[in-house]
Amino acid sequence: MAQQAGLTPDGSFALDWRAIKFSRGFVTVVLSTLVLLIVCSVFAPSAVSVGGLSGSLPFAAIIAIVGLGQMLVVQQGGFDLSLAGGVSLAVVITTHLSGGDDAQLFASILIAVGCAVVAGVVNGILVGVLRLNAIIATIGVNALMYGAVFAVAGGVPRSTTPLMAEIAGGKTLGLPNSVLFAVGVTLLVSFVLKLTVMGRRFEAIGANPQAAHAAGLPVRRYQATAYVCAQLLYCLAGVLISGITREPTAFQGDSLLLPSVAVVVLAGTSLLGGRGFPISTVIAAVFLNQLSQFALAVGVPFSAQTIIQALALVFGIGVYSVRWRRTAIPREKLSNSEETNNV
Amino acid sequence: MSKTLTLSLSLAAMTLTTALTATTALAETPSWCGPKEASLALLDGFGGNSWRLVTTASGAEEAAKCPSITQYEYADGQGNTQKAISDINSMAARGITAMVVFGDAGPAVLPALTNAHKAGTIVVPYRVNVGGEEGVNYAKFIGSSFVEDGKSWGNWIKANLPDGGNVLFLSGPAGNSQGLDELAGMKEVLDDKYVFINPEPFAVTNWDPSLTQQVLSAEIAKNDKIDVIVSDFGPSLVGALPVFAEFKRSIPMLATSDGNSLSCFWEQNHAANPDFKLFTVATGNDNVRLAVQWAVALATDGVPPTDNIFKAPVYEDSVSGSPNPVTCRADLPGSIYLSAELADDAQAKAVGQ
Repeated sequence: MAQQAGLTPDGSFALDWRAIKFSRGFVTVVLSTLVLLIVCSVFAPSAVSVGGLSGSLPFAAIIAIVGLGQMLVVQQGGFDLSLAGGVSLAVVITTHLSGGDDAQLFASILIAVGCAVVAGVVNGILVGVLRLNAIIATIGVNALMYGAVFAVAGGVPRSTTPLMAEIAGGKTLGLPNSVLFAVGVTLLVSFVLKLTVMGRRFEAIGANPQAAHAAGLPVRRYQATAYVCAQLLYCLAGVLISGITREPTAFQGDSLLLPSVAVVVLAGTSLLGGRGFPISTVIAAVFLNQLSQFALAVGVPFSAQTIIQALALVFGIGVYSVRWRRTAIPREKLSNSEETNNV
Repeated sequence: MSKTLTLSLSLAAMTLTTALTATTALAETPSWCGPKEASLALLDGFGGNSWRLVTTASGAEEAAKCPSITQYEYADGQGNTQKAISDINSMAARGITAMVVFGDAGPAVLPALTNAHKAGTIVVPYRVNVGGEEGVNYAKFIGSSFVEDGKSWGNWIKANLPDGGNVLFLSGPAGNSQGLDELAGMKEVLDDKYVFINPEPFAVTNWDPSLTQQVLSAEIAKNDKIDVIVSDFGPSLVGALPVFAEFKRSIPMLATSDGNSLSCFWEQNHAANPDFKLFTVATGNDNVRLAVQWAVALATDGVPPTDNIFKAPVYEDSVSGSPNPVTCRADLPGSIYLSAELADDAQAKAVGQ
């Protein structure tokens, strides 16, 4: 079931549709999103209008990309709090080092990627190799990255280059480019995770590191890799933000940390590690973003907006948990055996 | 006889020279700067954006005008209330004579300010209301008249939209007193013909460009007719205003605070957007100067300024060109404020560009 659920949404290998069973996380998040879209079209049609969507989808794409990064880490039983620093650093490097000059853009993006790799490797060594607690290690790295943000930008926002604004903020075939980036990244992550030997090992290690170690898999290396890949995704998100928001602040990553965890949980990835659900994560990002658009479009006071979002999250996770409890025992056993078989 | 004459002449010349020197010195030393030597500290609750960097540089420049200030210190709370409190305590413990405090955390810093005040430090909080009472918790509070800003915007809207219309008002975090005061100012001027289409009391943006963009696109999708946008942080709109193009609508009238990036945005886009008129009030970096003047006057026995409150002057009006037409300095960074007294190149240096 695990493999089929992961395979299904991109459809490329799903030959027999009747044999496919969707994961609970996928069903929950798709149903919630559909219900939300229906509610929107009745009570707040502007939130699902073409203009409304084209304004909000780029932000959904950003949440999706950082959510995928967080998912990779959560799959290894970890937690990455350096997301905020990672995104913010990519934003300030892209805006400040390029200095508004298109010719410098590529070099500055390369530097941002380089920094992301370094931060990811540091996280990976601290957590994967030295066995530090993930929360503590990534908080430390986050502080270091914010130090770098201040060193580069001094906290001052700066406008991005026209080329970056065109790449990240433009449209192709009527779709915002940032959405295309998110789709591309989702397909890549899904493919690697579900259809390559490396990806299958990655999930197996997340599900049961001891068993994977006994089977001779390089557990530490894979766990460390999760942090590097995650930082690369944060970096991509940061670079895109620098184009979508014309004059981004130096702290743009702060507001993304909670949504990144929320979408991972909503999509059904266990915080204890194991299987990941990239496509559900992306749909959860759309759900979360649409929810805030709904609250804005209805025009309720800010306090109510916050409460609506919190209630929807509790509801989403609640539905998922209740179903989990009813069927927990037999499925858990089944699921564990499957994870081992997948290796 | 001739000796006496020479002596008298030289005495007269000396007296004249001394008098002239004294006059020059008087002209250079402002009246708020007294003879008593003192030390001054500027304490920021959060120093990490261009507005604060320009403000900090303005505060330092103002303090430097007074030779009696022998020591000048600066501390940045970095948005951390604990650090802001500890900064206040440590400055008081070091025996600083006077401190000017941007109390971002509001009443949370009041106990620390009160302790410093009781220990004999001259404490002047400014711009953000920290609660408490003058003379009891601190020496003097130098507020900013956000109600005035609201009135200025209201008058301009009334003049340029005489038949009424839909107003969208954006401010910072939920419930911030600045936004509430500005709204009160606007409501004093605008009658029922002007409908506020945002959620009461204002659309919350946290002054974050990314959130502003999301809020604005939701509001544009929802409202077919937005006649004027009012925002108390103009430059944060620069990323959001192009959203109107997505809806094939002209950017509407805009009443806000100034910023070089916003002025340049207007210059590049007003031709393509026939309804795009711009009106700005000074963003208020010079509020700190008034607070420094008060602190220095109290610490050095100078003459305190007559103003107790900072009133941001009207800065740009694209319709009347008075007091200034919209001014874009493309050669300077977008994140400086041409309305500030600090020289343009000094601002560019302050923001590190």
